[in-house]
Amino acid sequence: MKLLSSYFKEMKIAARGFYFYIEIFFAVILLVILLVAVNEKSVSKQKEFLYYDMPEAFKEFVIQRQIDKGALKLIEPTEFKMKAIGFEVKNEETGEVETYNFDAEIISLRTYQEYDLDTGELNKTAYIADNEEDMIRLAYQEQKIGATVAVNDQGERSFRYYNQGYETDKFVNLLYILHNKTPDVLAAAVESQEVTKLGDIQTLNNRENLVPVMVVFMGSLMGFFIVMAYIYLDKDEGVIRAFAVTPSSIWKYLLTKTMVIMTTVVVSSSIITIPVMGLQPNYFLFYLLLIISTFAFASLGLFISSFFDTISKAFGALYIIMIAMMIPAFSYYIPSFDPVWLRFFPTYPLLQSMKEIIMINTDLGYVLTYSAVFLGGGVLLFVLANFRFKKTLTV
Amino acid sequence: MLSKIFKVFSRELKTARRDSMAILIIVMPVLFAFGITLFTPGLNDTTVNIALLESDDKSHIEYLEQFAKVEIFENREDVLTRVNKRDDMAAIMQKGDGYEIILQGNEPEIVEGYAKALNALYEIGANKEETTAAMYSFGHTVSPLKTMLVNMLISMTIMLSGMLIAISIVGEKADNTINAINVTPVSQTSFVIGKSMMGGLIAMVSIIISLFITGYYDINWFMIILVGLTSLILSLVVGFVQGLASDDVIEAAANVKMIMIPIAGSIVGYELLADKWQWTMYWSPFYWAYKANKLVLTKTADWPTILLCTGMVLVLSLVVYFLAKPKIREGLS
Repeated sequence: MKLLSSYFKEMKIAARGFYFYIEIFFAVILLVILLVAVNEKSVSKQKEFLYYDMPEAFKEFVIQRQIDKGALKLIEPTEFKMKAIGFEVKNEETGEVETYNFDAEIISLRTYQEYDLDTGELNKTAYIADNEEDMIRLAYQEQKIGATVAVNDQGERSFRYYNQGYETDKFVNLLYILHNKTPDVLAAAVESQEVTKLGDIQTLNNRENLVPVMVVFMGSLMGFFIVMAYIYLDKDEGVIRAFAVTPSSIWKYLLTKTMVIMTTVVVSSSIITIPVMGLQPNYFLFYLLLIISTFAFASLGLFISSFFDTISKAFGALYIIMIAMMIPAFSYYIPSFDPVWLRFFPTYPLLQSMKEIIMINTDLGYVLTYSAVFLGGGVLLFVLANFRFKKTLTV
Repeated sequence: MLSKIFKVFSRELKTARRDSMAILIIVMPVLFAFGITLFTPGLNDTTVNIALLESDDKSHIEYLEQFAKVEIFENREDVLTRVNKRDDMAAIMQKGDGYEIILQGNEPEIVEGYAKALNALYEIGANKEETTAAMYSFGHTVSPLKTMLVNMLISMTIMLSGMLIAISIVGEKADNTINAINVTPVSQTSFVIGKSMMGGLIAMVSIIISLFITGYYDINWFMIILVGLTSLILSLVVGFVQGLASDDVIEAAANVKMIMIPIAGSIVGYELLADKWQWTMYWSPFYWAYKANKLVLTKTADWPTILLCTGMVLVLSLVVYFLAKPKIREGLS
C-alpha cells in the first residue's frame, strides 16, 4: 500500500513537472515524423555516372531498347555545379596515373531512372555525360561510381569503371567477372538458378522498421538516463536524507521512481507504436517487454548513480553506456553486419525482440527468453543498487 | 569584460583538472573514434554472406570466397540453422548435379540477386581473365560510411559539450552561485560565458584528437578549425539556453532530448533528402555545421562554401540566442 501511495504521489509530482509533458511532446513529434516524412517503401538514392563511348545512333538504340522494356525512364535533366578541381586517376592494371584539371562550370546531364523489371521499383538514377572527362570529374566530385560503356569494332562491349578506391577487393572482383564475354550465357545461367525459401517470412516496411528503434532508444534506454536525473534531483533537494528518517524503506523509494519512468515510457511508446502498427503487434508481449526492459535499464541507472555524488560526476559513465547501447542499431539496419561481439550488448536482443513482437509471426520463445533475461538482470541490478544505497545511506 | 570572462574560464579550467568528468568527456569521443576506426572496415566489407557445406567442392568454395564472406558448416542442419538466424545469409548447397540456393525468405532482393549471380558465374566458369571490364581508381581510402560516422561523432561532441554546459549552469543555479555573483565585480553574463567556454574548449580538443585517430590528418585544418570555432559558438548557445531555461536536472535532461531532434534531423536530412528538398533544412545550424564538416572531411570543400556554412551557423546561433534572450534573462534573475 505504501508503495502504491508513494507511486501515486510521485506521479502527481511528475504530472506537475515539465519533463513528463516533454516526453509526450517528443513522442508526438516522432510520430508525426514517422507518418509524414518516412516513406513506407524505401526510395533508392543510388546514383551512377555513365558515358557511352560508341556512335551516337548506337547509343540511342541501346538506351531506347531499355526504355521500351520499361527498365529506363527519361526525367528532367540535372544541373551539376562543378568546382575547379585537380586530381589523379590510376589504371589498376597498368599502374599508369593520369592527371585531370578542371575549371569551375555548370554541367547539365541527361538523367534516367532505372527500374527493376520484376518489382517496378526504382533501382538507381543514371546520369549520362556527353564526354568521358565530364563523367570522370562527376564521379570524383560526387563520390559515386562512374563507368564508360564502349563498343569495339567487332561490336563487343567493354567497360571502364572509375572506382573511388575504398571499394573492397571482393566487390572489385565481382565487377570484373560480372562483365565477361558471354553476357547472354550468364543471364540464362542466373535465370536457371534454383532458389528455395524456408518460409514466407513477413518483412517490415521502412516506417514499421523504425518503431523498435524508437521504442528501445527513446523509451527503454531513456529510463537509464532519467532515473539518474531523478535521483540526483532528489539528492540536491535533500529528499533522500528526509526519506532516511521515514518508516518507508529505500527499495520502495527506488522502485517508486522506476515505476514513474515505466509509466512515462509506456505512454510515450504507445503514442508512437499504436498509430503506426495498428492491431498487428502482440500488445501483451509488447508491454511486457517494454516494462521489463525499462525496469532493467532504470535499475542499471540506479546502480551506476549509487557510485557518484552528482550527475556531473556520473555524466561520463552515463554517456559512454548510452552510446555503447546504441551501437547494435548498425546491425539492425545492416543485417549482413552481425559480428558475434555485438550480440552481447543488451540492446541487440531487445531490438530484435521488439521487431519480433511487431511482426505477425512472433518468435515467442525468443521474446520470452529475453524478457526473462531482462527481468533477471533488472532484479539483480535493483538488489545491488538497493544494497549500495543502504550502505552509503546517502542515496 | 573579456578579462573577467577569461578569469572565470581559467578558474573552470583549474576546477576541471580536479574533476574527472571533463577528462572523461575528452576521452570518450576519442574512444569512439577508436571504435569507428576498428569497426568501419567490417561495415564496409559487406557484399553478401554465404553458407556452404564442408563437403562441397573445394573449387566452388574457393571461387565464392573471392567475392563473398563465406562460412563453412559440417552438415545441412547446421547450414539451415545458420540461414534461419536473424542476419542475411544465403546458403548454396549441392542438389543432384547442380546447386540449390536456400534463403530464409526475408532477405533484401539484392542478397538473392548476388547469390544467384555468383553461383551462375561459377557454373559458366567465368573468371577475371575473360573480363571485359577495366578498373580505374581515384585513390580514396576513406569510405563515405566512415566519413558519416566521424561527422556524426563531431555533432555528438558538440551536443555533449552543450549538455555539459547546461548541467554545469543548472548546478550553479542550484547552489545559488549565479545570484551570489551579483555581489562580485563579475557580471552574471560574464560568469556564465566564462563557464560555458570550458565545454566549448573540451569539444574542440576532442574533435581534433578524434580526427587524428580516425586518420583525417591530411584535411584542410584551417577550415576544420573555423567550422569547429563556429560550432563552439553553437554549443555555447545551446548549453547556455538549455542551462538557463532549466530549473533542475530533469528539465535539463528533457531539454537535451529535445535538442536531439534538430541534430538527428539535420544529419538525416542532409544524407537522405533529395537535392531539391535540401532547402527545407536551412533553418538548422546543425545542418550547416554537418555539411561544412562533411565537405572538409571529403576534401571537396572550397572557401566560399565553408564561409557560407560557418556564416549560417553563426547567424542562426545568434538568432537562437536573441529569441531565447527573455528566457535567459529570466533564468539569470
